Amino acid sequence: MRNRVKGSMLGAVVAGAAVSAVIAVTVTRTAGQVQATRPARTVDDKPNFSGIWQALNEAHWDLEAHEARSGMVMQEGVYPFEFAQVPAAPVLALGAAAGVPGSIGVVQEDGVIPYTPEAAVIKQENNENWIDRDPELKCYLPGIPRAMYMPYPFQIVQSTNKIHMAYAFTSTARTIHLDTVEGPPDYTYMGHSVGRWEDDTLVVDVTDFNGKNWFDRAGNFHSEALRLEERFTLMSPDAIHYEVTITDPNVFTRPWRISMPLYRRLEPNMQLLEYRCIEFAEEFLYGHLRKEPLVTRWEGETIIVDITRKIPAGDALYDWYRK
Amino acid sequence: MHDRIVRSLGVTALIVLVLITMTHVTQTGTPAVQAVQAQDAATPRTPWGEPDLQGIWSVELLVPLERPDGTITEFYTEEQVAELDRIRATGSVFGNHVRAERGSEADVAGAYNAVFTSQRPTGRRTGMIIDPPDGKVPPLTAEARARQTEIFEYEAALLQNTVVCRDDLDGCIGGTYESRSPLRDEQPPHYSTRNINRAYGPEDRSLGERCMSGNLPNFRGGFAGIHYRVVQSPGTVTIFYDVGQGQGFNRVIPITDDPHLPAHVRQWWGDSRGRWEGDTLVIDVTNFSPKRDFRGSRENLHVVERWRRTGSETLEVVSTLEDSTVWTRPWTVIQDFARQPEEPNRIYYEPRCHEGNYGLPGLLVGSRAEERAFAEGQGPDPATRCIAGCASPEGRDPLALR
Repeated sequence: MRNRVKGSMLGAVVAGAAVSAVIAVTVTRTAGQVQATRPARTVDDKPNFSGIWQALNEAHWDLEAHEARSGMVMQEGVYPFEFAQVPAAPVLALGAAAGVPGSIGVVQEDGVIPYTPEAAVIKQENNENWIDRDPELKCYLPGIPRAMYMPYPFQIVQSTNKIHMAYAFTSTARTIHLDTVEGPPDYTYMGHSVGRWEDDTLVVDVTDFNGKNWFDRAGNFHSEALRLEERFTLMSPDAIHYEVTITDPNVFTRPWRISMPLYRRLEPNMQLLEYRCIEFAEEFLYGHLRKEPLVTRWEGETIIVDITRKIPAGDALYDWYRK
Repeated sequence: MHDRIVRSLGVTALIVLVLITMTHVTQTGTPAVQAVQAQDAATPRTPWGEPDLQGIWSVELLVPLERPDGTITEFYTEEQVAELDRIRATGSVFGNHVRAERGSEADVAGAYNAVFTSQRPTGRRTGMIIDPPDGKVPPLTAEARARQTEIFEYEAALLQNTVVCRDDLDGCIGGTYESRSPLRDEQPPHYSTRNINRAYGPEDRSLGERCMSGNLPNFRGGFAGIHYRVVQSPGTVTIFYDVGQGQGFNRVIPITDDPHLPAHVRQWWGDSRGRWEGDTLVIDVTNFSPKRDFRGSRENLHVVERWRRTGSETLEVVSTLEDSTVWTRPWTVIQDFARQPEEPNRIYYEPRCHEGNYGLPGLLVGSRAEERAFAEGQGPDPATRCIAGCASPEGRDPLALR
């Protein structure tokens, strides 16, 4: 910690000399009563995005506005209405922890993603077949912009001609090139990011996608024609206004925009821990190919989930029922 | 899309060829490869004053981990290097110049290697290990030897009734040809990170086949070598590892003297804490997961890495490994890296082995099909087949990228 403090204080001093005018410096009190300074600008007089960040919203569930629901996976209840559905087997045993929080949405203007009629049909099918189709569940590389608002932290390491973003989810990363580089030799999951400064906004063009990613768990998707223009602007030293213009003529009738704040993780000892989900997804992906399956009921490639919920001995509510 | 891949492979091949030629010239032209203590003024610095380790770095020369038997010097002479290159280029050490009997299983296994392996010119160092002075990995502790013996006996038992042992091939790992072992239906004596000769489930296959071979420490990087992308900001160093053919990963090193994570929090890539000692970045790595393995060392591994610039285009990483449950003393490995030009951006940022892993499910499906066929009297006993890499010319398990 002390070294970090020293490094950033040096940064603050140099930046201070360079732009003697207005410099917002946040002060954090760490456990050891050391005052850590986090300069709002870098030594080359750019907004300082370095640090660990995380979206704090429901965009990873659905970019569009949605109401809360009782289960990540739903099935028809006793009424035929969609609003009266109940949680389905894969999540039933998780009770109220299996629900999905509501959201006002992050899609700008009219709040609706402008799908072509053909693409709208695919989106609906994606939604209905979420657990079979979503690449996140298989631990595939999440792509951009999805990696930016998944419920995991990510770290920005801001240098002068490269800005690196390291994501906890599957330990993936992207480098934003502020200098001239050749594009990738093949289409990619994470895209090819080329950045530039427009005053105090970092603008990043992302191209060369392979079209295999989704935007969220609601089945919103794109093709390999996807192009992004991301804009990062500091709202305060601890919040970034993150905005993306999304263009994909194969799927959408016009460019559209999402926008959200990204928040700095302010814990003094915050660090990026790994989430190596390749291993986490093995049972899901290959469990049906085991000689002796661990899940008791596979029918071909389909998991038939039998749920056993045990009532713990001494549970006050159930003891009361039994009277 | 296909054309693009083919074209880019062509370009890559060309670049590799040019790079190899260039390094070769440099290597033979300038003898000063020895680690010279970098002068402070010579160390490139970031605009905020820290030593600058940034860029794309790769290993350009072939240096074995251990010094070969009979070699007593730390460096070869230029004449020896030239002679070794000549022998390697004509002899059987260049695996991709040797072809097994056409149509044989070994031929097919080798075909993959021939396309994907890269060969580098011989380096002047006779081995990467600089301590102990004999250039060898220190002897194992009695405890580690016993564990290793148990693992080998188990692995050998699963091979003893295969064609590999019947025909006395290298892959038999010293076993004898016998009838099927009852051990085949028991779990390995220790959590396995290598291929064992069965595919009852994903855990029977190596971390490489499961797309999880990109681990620390990484001295070989697999057939395709090692490429790093280092980016720094004040107080943080991040390294993207392009290793193991799409099994790369990203590592973030905070520069801090905060204590390590709680002892019960374990990570595949451990917990890294960096500090600057002069112009050297010293990284202390602990908290490794027991699910990974480096030459028998698992959760008790402690690595101290020392990263420093040795010139405008060179970087040196010296790693000291310590695990008193495995080795009788700590040992130290040196790796020399060469800087790659920025504009071509030749590093593969996408660790997407997993997204294209048809091999693992294919092996599991195939094994289930063989079991069904055998049960119906339609095929050989699957236990007599070797599916642990035994058929490759290099012997068993060449894909274990450790």
